[in-house]
Amino acid sequence: MSGDRVDVTAVVDPSAAAESGIPNAVALIAFSDAVVGNDEIELEQARASLLEAVGFEGLVDAAGVVGNFQRMVRIADGTGIPLDAPMRALTADLRRDLAINDYPSADNTPAESTSGRLLGRVLAPLLGLAYRTMGRVKGKA
Amino acid sequence: METPTSDRIQFANAPGEVRSDIAAAHARFWQRLASAGTWWSGTERVAIAAQTRAAMGCKLCDSRKQALSPTAIDGEHDGSLHSHGLLTDATVDVIHRITSDSSRLGRTWFEKVQADGLGDTHYVELLGIVVAMVSIDAFCRGLGTPLHPLPDPVSDKAPSRLRPASAREDGAWVPMIPSDEAKGSEADLWSGRAPNVFRAMSLVPDAVRDLKYLLAAHYLEMGKVGDPSASRTLSRPQIELIAGRVAALNECFY
Repeated sequence: MSGDRVDVTAVVDPSAAAESGIPNAVALIAFSDAVVGNDEIELEQARASLLEAVGFEGLVDAAGVVGNFQRMVRIADGTGIPLDAPMRALTADLRRDLAINDYPSADNTPAESTSGRLLGRVLAPLLGLAYRTMGRVKGKA
Repeated sequence: METPTSDRIQFANAPGEVRSDIAAAHARFWQRLASAGTWWSGTERVAIAAQTRAAMGCKLCDSRKQALSPTAIDGEHDGSLHSHGLLTDATVDVIHRITSDSSRLGRTWFEKVQADGLGDTHYVELLGIVVAMVSIDAFCRGLGTPLHPLPDPVSDKAPSRLRPASAREDGAWVPMIPSDEAKGSEADLWSGRAPNVFRAMSLVPDAVRDLKYLLAAHYLEMGKVGDPSASRTLSRPQIELIAGRVAALNECFY
């Protein structure tokens, strides 16, 4: 946890991966896309590229995370759970910027109130500061 | 002679040794899959797992996913004949829809699922099996190792049929245990405040237990998810990049 800023646009736009500030983002995105997709040749190539970039243990981690979130999205979409209220407030701007509100499953979450959006805008920078502080404290521990 | 469950969990041809906690989590789920659950028998649970695999290459599911509406295309799911007598056609369709096109499920769809005879408890347990299978198979596919052979069902006991008394309607399609009421026999499910995604399957507490074990092996332990410094060989930003990308590919709002 260095407290460096990253650009998460790559989660919806793979062409932004190289500028994300996250090491090996291009290979990680390509691998994720390939595992979720159904092109076996693409998967073989993406796996080989990722293995070279992050090593076998990193590849295992990546496969685990893809597997985990292939599961978690189906839990959320299969039960119709609404987005938790604090996250709803904190992510209003992010969801708008990444067009996440256009997803069909957005219907499961009530629309944010005006006061909720304003509260989120106040809290989001503070949350970022808190995470960076936690990272620096734990890094020194 | 039956093959022990642990022998079915192998990562043949992997260019390295897979972490033992992952193998253990897969073996634990495989053993539980084969046995009676809370609402489904061991035989039915393995049949649900088999249909989940069939869904991953199903031509009907592929066609429906490309269509403007998944209900616009009729047909029979690939592999559905194998479950005749064990699972109804409607149940097979539920498995295939969750596996292949979960972003377009909705409350109207769920209400029809219930009207077709699949109660909320059976649905949640089925969902728990489907999502665990998707997770484990995606891991193997990502690594390039063969899928684990499904276990042989064990018919040593009946489903327990335990419904948590505290589960209630709370904004989702299915009842959930409130965040602060995981107590007594459900005290192990989570501590403190739990986000909705951890509570989502709490109508069947064993489904949450399965979730926890696989979560810890594939991602992070439940208690460390909120710790931004938690990581593995990959850094936390790298981990969350993958998580966000998979969610976006599935168009999952949550």
